[in-house]
Amino acid sequence: MPKPTRQMSDTELRNSRLVFYKEDIQQIDSTLREFLSRSKSKAALLVDKDGHLITQEGSTEKTDTDTIAALVAGCFAATREMARILGEEEFSALFHQGRKDNLQLSLVGQRTILGVLFDDTTTIGMVRLYAAETARKLTSLFRKILGRSEAQCQSFGDEQTIGDGFSQAAADTLENVFGE
Amino acid sequence: MVQINFANREIQCKVVYYGPGMSGKTTNLEVVHKKAPTSAKGELTSIATEGDRTLFFDFMPLDLGNIAGIKTKFQLYTVPGQVYYNSTRKLVLQGVDGIVFVADSQADKLDENVEAFENLKANLKEYGRDIEAIPMVLQYNKRDLPGAMPVEDLERKLNPLNLPYFEAVASTGEGVFPTLKALASLVLESINREKQGGAGIAAAAACATPAAAATRPAPQRPAAAATARPAAPAAPRRMAPQQQPVQRRPAARVRPQAAPAARTPRQSREPFAAGTATQPRVHRAKPRHQERAEPVHHAMRRPAGKVRIKERTDTARLVLTLVIAAVIIGAVGFLFMNYL
Repeated sequence: MPKPTRQMSDTELRNSRLVFYKEDIQQIDSTLREFLSRSKSKAALLVDKDGHLITQEGSTEKTDTDTIAALVAGCFAATREMARILGEEEFSALFHQGRKDNLQLSLVGQRTILGVLFDDTTTIGMVRLYAAETARKLTSLFRKILGRSEAQCQSFGDEQTIGDGFSQAAADTLENVFGE
Repeated sequence: MVQINFANREIQCKVVYYGPGMSGKTTNLEVVHKKAPTSAKGELTSIATEGDRTLFFDFMPLDLGNIAGIKTKFQLYTVPGQVYYNSTRKLVLQGVDGIVFVADSQADKLDENVEAFENLKANLKEYGRDIEAIPMVLQYNKRDLPGAMPVEDLERKLNPLNLPYFEAVASTGEGVFPTLKALASLVLESINREKQGGAGIAAAAACATPAAAATRPAPQRPAAAATARPAAPAAPRRMAPQQQPVQRRPAARVRPQAAPAARTPRQSREPFAAGTATQPRVHRAKPRHQERAEPVHHAMRRPAGKVRIKERTDTARLVLTLVIAAVIIGAVGFLFMNYL
């Protein structure tokens, strides 16, 4: 097993697999809730750069957040490539202005994106201000998550691992879904 | 990279359909969308040109449901196949967990297939990934065309890695599900193998460094696919009644209506040509976010007293600022009047 206790480089942070435990998500959700109430935004999505939705807070019940997450990641990836071509290190924030709702995307650490949906009950300045503060908090949290030792991971207990029957159950499920 | 969320007991994996232009990547996804059980599939979203060629990617979430107590989701992507879209193609590969390489079986497309495969290797290398360490299957598509090469020849040219392969006619749906099933099996097996490699996948995955990931064994190919080398599938069997997708929605990807006599279905996807409008668009069968009549403003609740205090402080600051401004304006006005 690898020994992950050393300080991880930015590249490693980008490439490492992220595993979130209940405690992690609770802390992230709490940070996002605080952000929403302070910035008066409608909803916040935290998206992995690979396009996976990590967590969401606010009014997203009727939104296809999986697809939004994929599009947000694609959008940010395209922007990053533009920055590279233009000789800029990174465009760390994006703003999409709509008629009623607006979307602000900002980079959190090296591998996650905070998407904020807000309307005219707040301002872009307020959202940017609090998003930057939230990004700093979350970056610190992610560093802690990625820097966990093996022993710390195991301390979360069996219920936060994948059970022994996963392989057989996976085969059965695939047969059900794809069996023609 | 696979994302594991133990708060929701959920795994998310990213699968990418890769291959040369017009090889049938989007068609594969459309077939999956059409045939997958309604409960499992999400909307199919395409970012395509007006000429209906993939500009950035097609995307479809596929929820496999509960596997041993873990909700398992696959995010299916396609890449734009055209050579000059390499920058966007590379972006879609970021964090990929499994790849379906869709090759065009026609003899005159062989060079394009080889070029696309080399391009895949190069793009993965730029992300520091080794093609041999990523779960992958090959699909020889368009087996129904008269110009299709024998599978043995395709194998020699395109499959030095000895990947599991499948013959397909994606336009009719043949071979699409077996291909995805094999790939999904490889991806899930790779997750399971990491679990067996240590005290638990939680520890293994969370604590794995990239160096450790790079040295993990190459994914084992499914025995059936690797040894039996499935022949061209016969006419597609009908799905069991309980698996028949209920067509409650129109097809997600709305293709431009071509003159019926002028084009065959296959020809309806014209090659990208000068003068073709390139404005991207997103097709959605049913934009859910537009359905809501009145958004629920949960975020606007004021749950904490701390927030109210903060708001009061902001208001006090505003009033104070206004008073100071009024005093300054008054003083300036008074001085100005005296000066006059």
